[in-house]
Amino acid sequence: MTHIIRIGGLAVILAVFGIFFFILKEIIPLFSKAEVVAESVAKTGTSPKVIGVDEWGERPFLYSGGSEIVVLAGEEGARQAVEVPSLAGVEVTAVSYDPVHHRVAVGLADGRVGSFVVKYESVFREGEPRKVDVSVEEEPWYELEAGSGAVRSVSYGDGGSKRLISVVRDEGVAVVQLAQKRSLIGAGKLTRVGETDLSERIRTEVISTVASQNGQAVLMATADGQVHYFLMDAGALDEVQTFQPFEGKPPKRMDYLFGGVSVAMTDESGQQRVFSLFRPEGSNTRLFGQTKEFGPVGEGTPVFASSLRNKSFLCGAGGGLAVRHLTSGATRWEGTAEFEPVAVTIDGKAENFFLAGAEGQVQRFSLHDPHPESGWRAFFGKVWYEGGSEPVHQWQSTGGSDDFEPKLSLVPLIIGSLKGTFYALLFSIPIALLAAVFSAAFLPPAMKRVVKPAMEIMASLPSVVLGFLAGIWLAPLIEDKVPSILLTCLVLPTVALLFGAGWSRVPIQVRHRFEHGREWIVLLPLVLIGGWLAWSLGPVIEKWFFVYTDPSTGKAIADFRLWWPQATGLSFDQRNSLVVGFAMGFAVIPVIFTIAEDALSNVPRTLTAAAAALGASRWQVVRTIFIPVASPGIFSALMIGFGRAVGETMIVVMATGNTPVKEWNIFSGMRTLSANIAVELPEAAPGSTHYRTLFLGALVLFLLTFVLNGVAEVLRQRLREKNKLV
Amino acid sequence: MSASSSKFSTTGRSRTGEPLVWLTAVGLTIGVLLSVGLIGLVMYKGFESFWPARLVVVEVRQEGGENSKVAGYLVQERSKRTLEGLVEEEIQLFRGNRELFGEKFVFLDREAIVSQTEEEDLILVERLEGGNVIGRAKALELGGSETLEASAEGFDEKLDELTERGEELRDELREIEKIKIGENSKRVKELRWLEKKGSSPERAEELAGLLAEYEKLDGQRKELREQLEESTFVVEAMDGRELKIPTGELLHVFAANQVGFFGRLKETIRRAWTFVSTDPREANTEGGVYPAIFGTVVMTLVMSLFVTPFGVMAAIYLREYAKQGPLVKAVRISVNNLAGVPSIVFGVFGLAFFIYFLGGVVDDWFFSNSEEPVYKSGGILWASLTLALLTVPVVIVATEEALASVPRGVREAALACGASKWQAIQRVVLPASLPGILTGVILAMARGAGEVAPLMLVGVVKSAPDLPIDAVAPFVHPERQFMHLGFHIYDLGFQSPDSEAAKPMVFATTLLLISIVVVMNLTAIIIRNRLRKKYAVSSF
Repeated sequence: MTHIIRIGGLAVILAVFGIFFFILKEIIPLFSKAEVVAESVAKTGTSPKVIGVDEWGERPFLYSGGSEIVVLAGEEGARQAVEVPSLAGVEVTAVSYDPVHHRVAVGLADGRVGSFVVKYESVFREGEPRKVDVSVEEEPWYELEAGSGAVRSVSYGDGGSKRLISVVRDEGVAVVQLAQKRSLIGAGKLTRVGETDLSERIRTEVISTVASQNGQAVLMATADGQVHYFLMDAGALDEVQTFQPFEGKPPKRMDYLFGGVSVAMTDESGQQRVFSLFRPEGSNTRLFGQTKEFGPVGEGTPVFASSLRNKSFLCGAGGGLAVRHLTSGATRWEGTAEFEPVAVTIDGKAENFFLAGAEGQVQRFSLHDPHPESGWRAFFGKVWYEGGSEPVHQWQSTGGSDDFEPKLSLVPLIIGSLKGTFYALLFSIPIALLAAVFSAAFLPPAMKRVVKPAMEIMASLPSVVLGFLAGIWLAPLIEDKVPSILLTCLVLPTVALLFGAGWSRVPIQVRHRFEHGREWIVLLPLVLIGGWLAWSLGPVIEKWFFVYTDPSTGKAIADFRLWWPQATGLSFDQRNSLVVGFAMGFAVIPVIFTIAEDALSNVPRTLTAAAAALGASRWQVVRTIFIPVASPGIFSALMIGFGRAVGETMIVVMATGNTPVKEWNIFSGMRTLSANIAVELPEAAPGSTHYRTLFLGALVLFLLTFVLNGVAEVLRQRLREKNKLV
Repeated sequence: MSASSSKFSTTGRSRTGEPLVWLTAVGLTIGVLLSVGLIGLVMYKGFESFWPARLVVVEVRQEGGENSKVAGYLVQERSKRTLEGLVEEEIQLFRGNRELFGEKFVFLDREAIVSQTEEEDLILVERLEGGNVIGRAKALELGGSETLEASAEGFDEKLDELTERGEELRDELREIEKIKIGENSKRVKELRWLEKKGSSPERAEELAGLLAEYEKLDGQRKELREQLEESTFVVEAMDGRELKIPTGELLHVFAANQVGFFGRLKETIRRAWTFVSTDPREANTEGGVYPAIFGTVVMTLVMSLFVTPFGVMAAIYLREYAKQGPLVKAVRISVNNLAGVPSIVFGVFGLAFFIYFLGGVVDDWFFSNSEEPVYKSGGILWASLTLALLTVPVVIVATEEALASVPRGVREAALACGASKWQAIQRVVLPASLPGILTGVILAMARGAGEVAPLMLVGVVKSAPDLPIDAVAPFVHPERQFMHLGFHIYDLGFQSPDSEAAKPMVFATTLLLISIVVVMNLTAIIIRNRLRKKYAVSSF
């Protein structure tokens, strides 16, 4: 039996601590880097200009500028050539690749531009593993009216119904506009809508161009290092902005990142500056501004491929390679290639990437990076999100669109937790401590046996009940009674002080008839009357101090709800921190009261009696003996109260609007760590970044309360031992 | 009194700081008022939701037309300040009759009310679907063309009879739909699933038999449904429009203005009984909370089954077996601290460990044939285990205290008589500390019964079709999701589409939950106080 007890007891204790480690285990992957494993090299013998791959990362193709593409078939290193008939007998001078549509855009020596799409189709046959079939779909050729000579750079921007092909020729720059009518039967015919000659508008020599994935914008880089940004507006291309990514030299590459809002500018060392579109303060148009910078990776021709799932991208120069993540600004992986790549690509699931070398080598790397957007900086630092005009702390875990980027800063949530706790403690500490002092120092034992459980029973009220009452009953009740509440908070202590002062002037003969320790009962009617008076006088105060003037009509309205936003510029919500403070105060008062009362009651009677014998008044005994001796206990009571409020969930979920804001306004809501977990965890996919981040929030809560309670407990034990000695 | 004696009194103690003493007193006053006031509020609101209100007919002035009349009961009176600075006084009336009015509640402007009268013959009809009906009884349309006018002899008796008959029919229907057809279709589903993997003649035969049986049951079901709708109860609303309620849907007809105080008390008790004993209806806004009570009780009991032995074992180990030293002290402090860790953290752990990890393992081993996850989703077992973890520190701390308070002499006497350590613990120490352990378990149960946040992650739902323990083999279904009183409050108050209609239900549920928790806590406090007294004597 002894053994069973020993094993069982140890097991329970271990299990309880297992919680910590299990939560930690879920979080660790958030802080790990990307895993990249290099696999075998296949040789094709063609020197590729672009490399592309299907969504499953099975069959990469190479295109080297001829009239066929070379497709690698699986692991065996077998090759398959697919003809592109219309490219036979022409000289290709410029090539670019759009991985979203698997489209290769081609510019010719005679100035024509065109494109073909590599079609991947997965085929299921009975009893065989899935196969991917490859075919080529050719698209029309376009003659350019503007400029002359061979095409030096071409880019195809496919936005579905609206498309652009931007072209740089030996002489002149042009953009061809295409449109595809959507019809009920399917995709309609693709027609050429127009062509814009940009030669006149850009004075310096243009060396490269890139069209955006929505078919609405074009970037042109000139030899003097300028980048011109043109945007389609009402059928015409307007120049919106000119900027200089690198001082005095043109970028070697310009590539749009997933989502089409950011452009990575890469120089010959692989150093990158990322420019994102956002509205600068005071401007209505979205302009490019630098948001991130990444260091060099090597020396040579830069290569680049963007992930089609998230804001990660692969870049390289010389032999150096790096997987980077735009939002977090982190380098997820760094390494060197066996050969210098001339083209790279990432598959649609971002699980593999491929390098192609000048001699036709193709190497597959498997990439495992489930949480690229996470990291200390993403959770606790300010992050410059795409589309934002400055770095911010923000929590927004889910959004409507596919390219939505989760914003996972825990800072607004931690601030929300602290804010709720602060207002709860503001309400509960005075009441709980005053009550504890009175109960320990003055209350007769017979009365204490009734009063103490009456206070403690409050602790047993389920928080869901408090939250419900706060949200449904209290919030509407006090919404338009703020001045009344302020007044009540002032009046009640004043009434007690005044009454006490008056009472102490009463002749001792009268006072002696009154037994000590009943003051609180005497105050009951006074508190009720005072409270009622203050409550009904609230509107009067409101008329005096909180008058809102309607800016349009000039009418004066006495309403605190309107006055507050006008006077302070902050918002006023019905379910605000004041309500939460009250409701959570109810949960915290008994906790603080019980512990503080215990500490005060355990102050040795010898000390207090000695003080009284030396002529100290009742209050002097409290001030000089009770409070100093019990102060560690009181302090630990406050910390345990703090811990209780920080982790409170249901009250916050029910009594606030749950908006993650980063402000201390008492009349707005908040979202706390705990409420956030309760609201979002049931919806989060297990193993996702969101899921693990919520676990991180739980760990923060766990550690915070554990440490606070630990310190409080140690303090209390010390105090107990100290009082024993006296 | 002279000026000097105000500083130093020779007749009594100095009164320096006396006002501050009164300041501390006001803290206690407010604290007690808050505590008592809060519980009072919940009790008042809870009882109010059962107390039958008088039905009134309110005549309202309409602009440019005749006055209109509406019958109902008063829900609240309020004065609202609009953002334009005006004060609007209005009353809220429950008028029911959703088919006629759309909204069940209406706000009436005080100024527009012409008169407010209580009319004798108004009735409140509770029915299965569509919410309550308020109006005057008009007639009973019995099957065929037979009609019984409300003024006719024996009308009330006939109405009662039909209401009772309706209840019987509904019970029969439930039996067929839920149990017989339920079992049938479950087996059919299983067979079809097996069929996919490979067919066999026996299975095909069984399947055909089951399908034939289903046809038969379906026929019975249709027949019962027709019987339920055979006769109708016609109620006339104040504007003369008629509402026809099939008697099979009638639950209760109450003439609110004809009964006295005791009649209303009786109705209150009936409503309270219905509340605790029936299933919810109308998206939980009507009916009872029986499944939620059941879920709460079962979960708490299962939790205490886990928490008691393990908590006591850990406490005995810590107090009696472990070598007292800094390590045990640290462990003790940590266990104590765990009681202060937010409950949601335990919920997070429960979700990851019990559901996704343990549940996944169990499903892989035993239920790999099942299409849907069985244990890899929230259920009452996982919820109980999560709460057991949450409350085990409470039991450990209480048990340790109880063990420590057993006088040393008693223990030594047992050892001196030749008992082994375990014998001493088992025969002497444990029985002596039983009340303390019991206190801990009750406190743990009270805490567990009131927790909601972790449950939201590990298996509580707003509406569970089946109870975790029922008459269908294997009778105990630890994997089933369940309803819970605390979650019911949250869901009704904040997720309900008709939150106004749900309010009385929420207050009633709140009262119920608080009663359970407060009674448990008070019991624990009383046991603890008795215990203290007992040992206060024996330890000297």
